[in-house]
Amino acid sequence: MADRKQSANPSGEEQIRALYEQAESPTAKAFEELVSKPSFGSLLARSAENVAALSRIGTDLADVALRNLRIAGRADITRLARQLQRTEDKLERVLQEVEQLGDELGHRAADGASNGRDPTGRERVKADS
Amino acid sequence: MSTVERIVRSPLHALEFANVLLTTPDAVVGASEREVIWTHRGTTLYRYRSSSREYPLPLLLVFALINRPEIFDLRPGGSLIEYLLEEGFDVFLLDWGSPGEEDADMGLDEYVCDELHWAIRETLRASGSDELTLMGWCIGATLCAMYCGLDRGALDASARPGPEREASRNPVRNLALLTMPVDARGSTYATWIGDPEFDVDAVAEQWRVVPGGAVDFANGMLKPVTNFFTTYLRLWQGIQDGGMRRDAYQPMAKWVADNPDFPGKAWSQWIRMMYRDGTLVAGHARLRGMRVDLGRIDQNLLVVTAGADHIAPRPGTMPVFELVSSEDVTHIDRPGGHIGLVAGSAARKEIWPEMADWLRERSER
Repeated sequence: MADRKQSANPSGEEQIRALYEQAESPTAKAFEELVSKPSFGSLLARSAENVAALSRIGTDLADVALRNLRIAGRADITRLARQLQRTEDKLERVLQEVEQLGDELGHRAADGASNGRDPTGRERVKADS
Repeated sequence: MSTVERIVRSPLHALEFANVLLTTPDAVVGASEREVIWTHRGTTLYRYRSSSREYPLPLLLVFALINRPEIFDLRPGGSLIEYLLEEGFDVFLLDWGSPGEEDADMGLDEYVCDELHWAIRETLRASGSDELTLMGWCIGATLCAMYCGLDRGALDASARPGPEREASRNPVRNLALLTMPVDARGSTYATWIGDPEFDVDAVAEQWRVVPGGAVDFANGMLKPVTNFFTTYLRLWQGIQDGGMRRDAYQPMAKWVADNPDFPGKAWSQWIRMMYRDGTLVAGHARLRGMRVDLGRIDQNLLVVTAGADHIAPRPGTMPVFELVSSEDVTHIDRPGGHIGLVAGSAARKEIWPEMADWLRERSER
């Protein structure tokens, strides 16, 4: 009974919440429609271009300032990191070759064992010969 | 609670609200035990060992290039990885790391032909299997599809230059693609960046790595009211009503806010391929000069789509069914959103069991 009375006479806060719930869905939809317009896309794209350009200019300026102070800037760190990565790329390829060769040798040894040959391909000396 | 009581308690609620937001970065995500199998540049391959491993076929999870892969292992009791381990799968995870400016030259070519190719090789070596299941989410799913769409001989030759060898066999037995975009030209994103006046390459060149925050902002703008306002309002209401679950809210909020940068080259390629030219779906996409033909996908194929997905809308996935040549194709379609597939209570109850059933039937030796 009390519940029914409460739902029949919602409090001020409940009314506000209900109003918000009613308003939220159409507002969200309206905003979604707004952002899906090509004009909004152009605005966003142009803003992204400007922010990217500004950040580039800022970074370059900071790098010049740091370099004049004989301190390594971001560009120097990046260059160093790239060199490390190139070395890592080469090491990775070497590692893969080594593993591949190891696998091939393993297969050859297994085949050799079953054929009575050693991994180097030479005929195994039989104990009785 | 009466209105007066609410007003009196509102300072306490405000403190709790602030506390939840301020301590979100401390939430623990990705808590499952794992070991590092292989690293290259920023990429890391992890292995999660199952204490009840039943299936010999390893499962390699490939994450997207935006956000972090912890969504697969969000929190105890709400972790896809934990669930798969309980089901007896041997799980590997490919984490792309957090690219810096030095990774600006990482393109989709490098991600697919080097990192993914090598991670598959390391997964096979670590597991002792000669086949695996590849499961990708979002952009990760597209990378997996592109990998399977490459010619094996050409891929081998690009990975190991030298005298011509016999092409290796494709080790991917099962391919699971979760909310994968293949043609997003009809999406809101395409409206934003489809304008030819928007110079994608210039932006990529100037930013070198596109800030994760910018990508996240763009994702948020797809549903601005829901993402920038309603989320916080629901949190406030949850605190007022006493129904807010900190252990559920915080890990997800932390994951959403963790946005690694997107290497400029990969971003520019992705925009062109997916939102402008549609080269992947048209069969004209190339990685290191090799044509990506999704018609080469002949693996057992699982495609999972979400009806309310606004990031990778379902219509952008559907063309894949007309392209692949797989005989065993399963499509699971659910009404949830993009993230709801891999996290959330509905995922655990409905989607994960279906995915596990599909995997189980195809993971025997």
